[in-house]
Amino acid sequence: MNINLITIKKASEMLGVNSQTLRRWDDSGRLVSIRGKNNYRYYKKEDIDEYIKNNLKDIFKMAKSWVLDKSGIEPRYDLYCKDTSAFQARLTKLRNELSKIENLKDNYFSITSIAGEIGDNSFAHNFGNWPDIMGIFFAYDFKKRKIVLADRGQGILKTLKKVKPELNNHLDAIETAFTEIISGRSPESRGNGLKYVKKTVINNEIKLFFQTGDAKLEIKKGDIDLNIKKSSVKLCGCLALIQF
Amino acid sequence: MTIYLKKFGTLLNGRMLGKEAFAAFLPSLKDIQNDEKIEVDFDGVDVFSPSWGDEFLSSLINKFGDRVILKNTQGLSVKSTLDFLEDINKMKFNVEN
Repeated sequence: MNINLITIKKASEMLGVNSQTLRRWDDSGRLVSIRGKNNYRYYKKEDIDEYIKNNLKDIFKMAKSWVLDKSGIEPRYDLYCKDTSAFQARLTKLRNELSKIENLKDNYFSITSIAGEIGDNSFAHNFGNWPDIMGIFFAYDFKKRKIVLADRGQGILKTLKKVKPELNNHLDAIETAFTEIISGRSPESRGNGLKYVKKTVINNEIKLFFQTGDAKLEIKKGDIDLNIKKSSVKLCGCLALIQF
Repeated sequence: MTIYLKKFGTLLNGRMLGKEAFAAFLPSLKDIQNDEKIEVDFDGVDVFSPSWGDEFLSSLINKFGDRVILKNTQGLSVKSTLDFLEDINKMKFNVEN
């Protein structure tokens, strides 16, 4: 078979839709397949990439629906970093592309480093303990100046409780994570990355939305107090939106 | 001896990667003399995150203490992260620029 052709199963994984949907799209002409000798449907990889590029929805809504989904499936391949190597590669790509945006000047260091800390937090605190889907949702949309990271991990409350057992709700957990220096890290190797994220956002033209469990937080340049509120929806891991 | 951080990459991020970098470099440190300084050169490092920095630098300082000297730390990302690490760890790095 032509190496540029992929199966309907692979195409459905890349697009994050099921095979039945792809058959329907093929019949209606929305995304046309190529029939093999066996009459099976195959797709050109470049057609799938082009379709994804032209049909990019709001990445924040996609991430939010992914973390709220009850059953949990792996996100579309271009939005997904299964492990730290994939994350590091995409973070490097993000840095390279951000550095080309003229009016960002030196701000791209800061944006890259906070995306790096948030993503790294997800991996570090769920390593070997992912409840269902391993890895993170990581996508960016430069037209809308947004970067989104999300995980279906244990959430901050559960991991922070290991070093601060008195925590009993997500609101206190998110505040602790962003403000309190955790010195005795053993047995949980929790770092202080989110405090660095807060400091960096406050000092730069960056806005951050962050949610874990039913606690959400917003920070922007110059803020002194954290704007922490209870959310009407509860999610299992973490969801972050960086705007610049 | 001098450790050129850019040899680990220009984007240094991630706690696990910082830990791995230190573990991988450890054999190169075995022949250090008792009075020898260990210079850590940040030249060429573009993005330096606290998670990587904390793992690598803290391990190095735990092992060699005041003999660890940081060089070429003027980059914005490097400076900001070093300031942050000094703040949270309540310590001062030996910096020579």
